[in-house]
Amino acid sequence: MIHPVDTILSLALLSILFSFGSSRLPGLIKVMAFQGVVVSIVPLFVGHEMSTGGIVFTIVTLAIRGIIIPGCIYLAIKRVAIGREVEPIVGYHASILAGLLLIVGATFASHRIDVPYDSISALLLPTAISLLGAGMFLLMARRNAIAMVLGYIMMENGIYLAGTTFSVRARHIVEFGILLDVLAGVMIMAVILQNIKQTFDDVDTARLRTLKE
Amino acid sequence: MLEIVFLIPFVTGAAAFFLPTTIGRSMLVLTGAVHLILSVLVWAGQLAPLFPDYFSVTPEGLLSLLVISLLFFLISIYTIAYLKASDIQAENIFTGSMLLFLSTMTMVTLSDHIMVMWIAIEATTLASAPLIYTHRSAASLEATWKYVLICSVGIAMALLGSVLVTVAMDVGKVDAPISFSAMTEVAKNMDPMWLKAGFVFILVGYGTKMGLAPMHTWLPDAHSEAPSPASALLSGVLLNCAYLGIFKTNKIMHAAGLADFSGPILIVFGLVSIMAAATFILKQTEYKRMLAYSSIENMGIIAFGTGIGGMGAYGAILCLIHHSLIKSSLFLTSGNILLGFGSRFIDQTGNLVGRMPKTFVAFFGGFIAISGFPPFGIFIGELLIIIAAFRTDNYLAAGLFILSLCVIFAGFANNIMKISFNSSDAVNRIQEEASLVWPQYALLLTSLVLCFWMPDTLYQTIIHAVNATGGGF
Repeated sequence: MIHPVDTILSLALLSILFSFGSSRLPGLIKVMAFQGVVVSIVPLFVGHEMSTGGIVFTIVTLAIRGIIIPGCIYLAIKRVAIGREVEPIVGYHASILAGLLLIVGATFASHRIDVPYDSISALLLPTAISLLGAGMFLLMARRNAIAMVLGYIMMENGIYLAGTTFSVRARHIVEFGILLDVLAGVMIMAVILQNIKQTFDDVDTARLRTLKE
Repeated sequence: MLEIVFLIPFVTGAAAFFLPTTIGRSMLVLTGAVHLILSVLVWAGQLAPLFPDYFSVTPEGLLSLLVISLLFFLISIYTIAYLKASDIQAENIFTGSMLLFLSTMTMVTLSDHIMVMWIAIEATTLASAPLIYTHRSAASLEATWKYVLICSVGIAMALLGSVLVTVAMDVGKVDAPISFSAMTEVAKNMDPMWLKAGFVFILVGYGTKMGLAPMHTWLPDAHSEAPSPASALLSGVLLNCAYLGIFKTNKIMHAAGLADFSGPILIVFGLVSIMAAATFILKQTEYKRMLAYSSIENMGIIAFGTGIGGMGAYGAILCLIHHSLIKSSLFLTSGNILLGFGSRFIDQTGNLVGRMPKTFVAFFGGFIAISGFPPFGIFIGELLIIIAAFRTDNYLAAGLFILSLCVIFAGFANNIMKISFNSSDAVNRIQEEASLVWPQYALLLTSLVLCFWMPDTLYQTIIHAVNATGGGF
């Protein structure tokens, strides 16, 4: 029988490939919202005893990762940049191929590591590594500032997955603090994005090159 | 109640966003003064934490806290004069962010829980981002964007590293709270492989924030675009806060007997930073960027000394304290030069000695101190680090270290001479008010006094801090 966690995690892996293939920003934001939802419901299925606080916290995470963060970015780019291309440095097909290689590599690598995650799901560590790598890929392979912010969020999602075991130790207040930081960070990035759009009339980071040696 | 030290600036900072600017200015100084008094109380051991799971007083935290507090108080006095002389839009955002920045940095120094530490360090990034964007120009926007994105991504690495450290506890079947103090005690039983991985990620993550090359790219932009009081805070204390994260993790590594893993990595990162600074400082055309590269150099020296250990670790802490005092004074002085000449370029300044003699004294004094002339503290710190490097047979590293320091001195001196003595036809735009120069004098004087007379309690605290990482004499 396939464990429900595996199904959820494979959806997260799928979202990586979708995000690498999407050329339009609204599409990319939707993929990221989906990924946020998928990642935040993982703790519900990992088999730890869930307290009421734990369930409430999972719902808050879901609301922030799945709705508020993508919503913030969507609002920031509304009006001008809507439907804009993500200005790839690496093409979409090449990106998807790179994504596939990344997932294969992550699976291969995590088999060689002595992991404490195996009791939860064999897919947990590969997914976390893939999300991290994919986030970095988006940061490097897209010139559009919004796509870069989304790359950062994807990295955060990966770290959140890697930290699901740690959540047993830490109190929810600490986890909530981390989440709040990420949220505030994304909000500040959204404000900067708006200003970039107003000042440069574009969100292409190729224009942000005046300060250099 | 220990937490009050960061709660007070948090409350006043949040209030300053909504209050008129005149009240905001006086609140800045008042909060600085209250903070300084509270920090002294903390030093005297008068305040106990309300949440000992998350916050505690450590020797390294105490040192940073006192430096932050003293610097902020002096900088806040300067800031009032600076705000009067320059025109800054949305001043309440500036003062509010300064206070929030103080609050978050204080939280870093007091946090003991590995995740709370992360939360606090990430919060410093967020609180200081509006400071860099104060001038509302395209260039400052670019600097803010780079700062927030690079630091957030970098610090995300540190979060991963912190998670990996907790995994090291799981794998080693250790049951303890995930605070630095508790983890240092049980470090021997933690899984070495995961701990090493955690250390590397934390070093890369907090190293980004500390300005270690090659993750330093945000630093010159942010320091040159931010208004001078903010640059002084960024360089003087923010970098120390990031170092604190690395220092505490290094303490765990030492307790786990993995010092010969963490040491060489710190040495390499330190040397790369010093050499990167040496490369870029030579052809610098802007004086604030030059000071920023000097900060990268000093952070490299501190990382190098920490990696060497022994006397070097003691030297690193000395450099840390003196760099904060001297570099913040230099950044404040650069604010006067910017106000006076209206340009960031070295070519468009000149004859500082004739035009702004009081500023010149602060500027030249700061230059002498930061270049490591005796009797200033940086000289003693660097000397101890070099001796320790020779004692541990790191001849090549010590050679590269000394060579880079010479190159940096040459580049630095060349530019300082241009600013000070070149002829210039620019018009001087400001009067040298007392509060625009004496905070710098006070900072330099503190550094000078500490070289000749160090209170025993301070010496003991430093020794206590470095002992845990195999430092001391």
